[in-house]
Amino acid sequence: MSGVTLRNIKKAFGTVEVIHDVNISISQGEFVVFVGPSGCGKSTLLRMIAGLEETTSGVIEIDGTDVTCMEAAKRGVSMVFQSYALYPHLSVFDNMAFSLQIASRPKDEIKQKVEEVARILQLDQHLDRKPSQLSGGQRQRVAIGRAIVRQPKAFLFDEPLSNLDAELRVQMRMEIARLHNQIGATMIYVTHDQVEAMTLADKIVVLKSGTVQQIGSPLELYDNPDNQFVAGFIGSPRMNFLEGKVVQGGNDAPDEVRIELVEAPNSSVPVTLSGPKPVPEATVILGIRPENIETGNPVSAEDDAVELSLKTEFTEELGGVSYVHTLTEGGVRVTIERRSDRNHIAQDHISARLPTRHLFLFDANGMRLR
Amino acid sequence: MLLIAPFVICYLVVFAYPVYKMFAMSFTDAPLIGEGEWVGLDNYIRMFQNKLFYTSVYNTLYFVVLTVVPNTLIGLGIAMMIVRLNGWVQASILILFFMPYILPVTVVTQIWQWVLDQQFGIAQPLIEAVVGKRVSVFRDPFWAMPMVAVVTIWWTNGFNVLLFVSALRNIPRDYYEAASLDGATRLQQFRRITWPLLWPVTALVLTLQLIMQLKIFDQIYLMTQGGPFNSTYVLLQLVYREAFGRNQGGYASAVAVALFVIIVAVSILQYQLLKARGK
Repeated sequence: MSGVTLRNIKKAFGTVEVIHDVNISISQGEFVVFVGPSGCGKSTLLRMIAGLEETTSGVIEIDGTDVTCMEAAKRGVSMVFQSYALYPHLSVFDNMAFSLQIASRPKDEIKQKVEEVARILQLDQHLDRKPSQLSGGQRQRVAIGRAIVRQPKAFLFDEPLSNLDAELRVQMRMEIARLHNQIGATMIYVTHDQVEAMTLADKIVVLKSGTVQQIGSPLELYDNPDNQFVAGFIGSPRMNFLEGKVVQGGNDAPDEVRIELVEAPNSSVPVTLSGPKPVPEATVILGIRPENIETGNPVSAEDDAVELSLKTEFTEELGGVSYVHTLTEGGVRVTIERRSDRNHIAQDHISARLPTRHLFLFDANGMRLR
Repeated sequence: MLLIAPFVICYLVVFAYPVYKMFAMSFTDAPLIGEGEWVGLDNYIRMFQNKLFYTSVYNTLYFVVLTVVPNTLIGLGIAMMIVRLNGWVQASILILFFMPYILPVTVVTQIWQWVLDQQFGIAQPLIEAVVGKRVSVFRDPFWAMPMVAVVTIWWTNGFNVLLFVSALRNIPRDYYEAASLDGATRLQQFRRITWPLLWPVTALVLTLQLIMQLKIFDQIYLMTQGGPFNSTYVLLQLVYREAFGRNQGGYASAVAVALFVIIVAVSILQYQLLKARGK
């Protein structure tokens, strides 16, 4: 099977294990993003695939070949570094030609390949320049070009956009997506920015403290997170979480539990679960995305919903959308997204409805209850 | 203006005036202290007719050849080994290599006179193993100058190591990782990344060395006094002998001017060559 496969990968520095039993399978031509907060081990994992870090145990396969103990150069992957790692004393041409020159390819072939890639990346005007004479975005493109010239089996990107300003980042993000469509190679991309992950990935791997939290397409992770961490990490602004507990209900359907929020005692709502139900009195966490909270008139009144009184703090007006930042009586932050609604919320207190069909339920350990 | 006055005054009093005085004296028959009569180019003519002057120029250049490039390369080699160490091990090894540099020259020469002593020097078995007999190195015209060079390299190498270590630390590790992903061997990495990126520092070290080694005097004065058979006689020693030994300030100044011209010419030439190579 082609692509990249990681099986039972572990990595320890001394006695400290930083990557715990990671299993990921990436098929040929897929764009996979490793995402997680800093220190989650995503870069280490990428460097292990590249061969820049030793693998403590487990198997890494690239294109069906076990490369776990193979040296970096022989794995046939190329990497774009966060710092770009362009050689300052070499011209753009020589930077891009480096790997071919090392492999002693014929001069004509080198020239032809580099010029072709330079054309794709719109660098053909800058081949004689030194990296220091280029803008941030151009340097980024040289770094990508250097990777493409080798025609690797897989591209590895280590936070390639984090040194660019916000506008350029959006632009380069689109260029990388376009490039992936154009050359169709397997790409593994590391970032801490979930927006980058959502926009670029065919498949996202969410990591936390060296363990895989969930693997899936961007919308799968958004619509159906496995746990509270993934639910909170994917989506911007992040999901709101409210504590609640399971209460005994008189006439529940067999697949329903009744949840009472700490913030709204004495009013319980039924939530439908297909899996095992939590025991009564158990603490649960309710999650709801900002865009699913209703203010003003109910959209569909027949829905079950939690009614909540919220104190507004401030509003971020972004034009098409605005985010209202509020606090519950107990001091829990709740963000509400409002679209195409220019009516400014003047009052200090608003009442919000949290429709039960949009609620995510997590147990006290943060695992999803479905 | 007022703020740079202290510097300007010091510069004029202890540098510009003495330098001017040296040039002026080289055209007179002045003794070491006091004024002399104008003699035109007599001192220079005498100098160019003096066989010891040519010997001194030759020996000075020979010493430069023996020290400058080897000292730089050895410094680079040691620095490259040291950067591969980590933490306190790196710091301690660096200190060990730097230690000789803080010793005064008298201590350095004393140590090496013991080390190389023909009777009980600990280096003698090594020399014996190579050439088959013990050698009194400072009394042998063939051995004397190379041994002075060895002592000088041992003494001053730590400083070069320090410069190279800090230059090597400034090369990001990413470059080597990127190169190793591209399949570059250690030798290729050195040739294509380390050496070119280190070049400005290498050029600096070479130039500093060149200027310093052209001014060789202390070690020779303390170890060989120019002997045996003038085989280690260098320019500064000639200046010293004429001025302090024979009370001929004017003639000594002429030799000093000659040394000055050589240093300026050689270092400008070298710096230009190095700059051209760097591009």
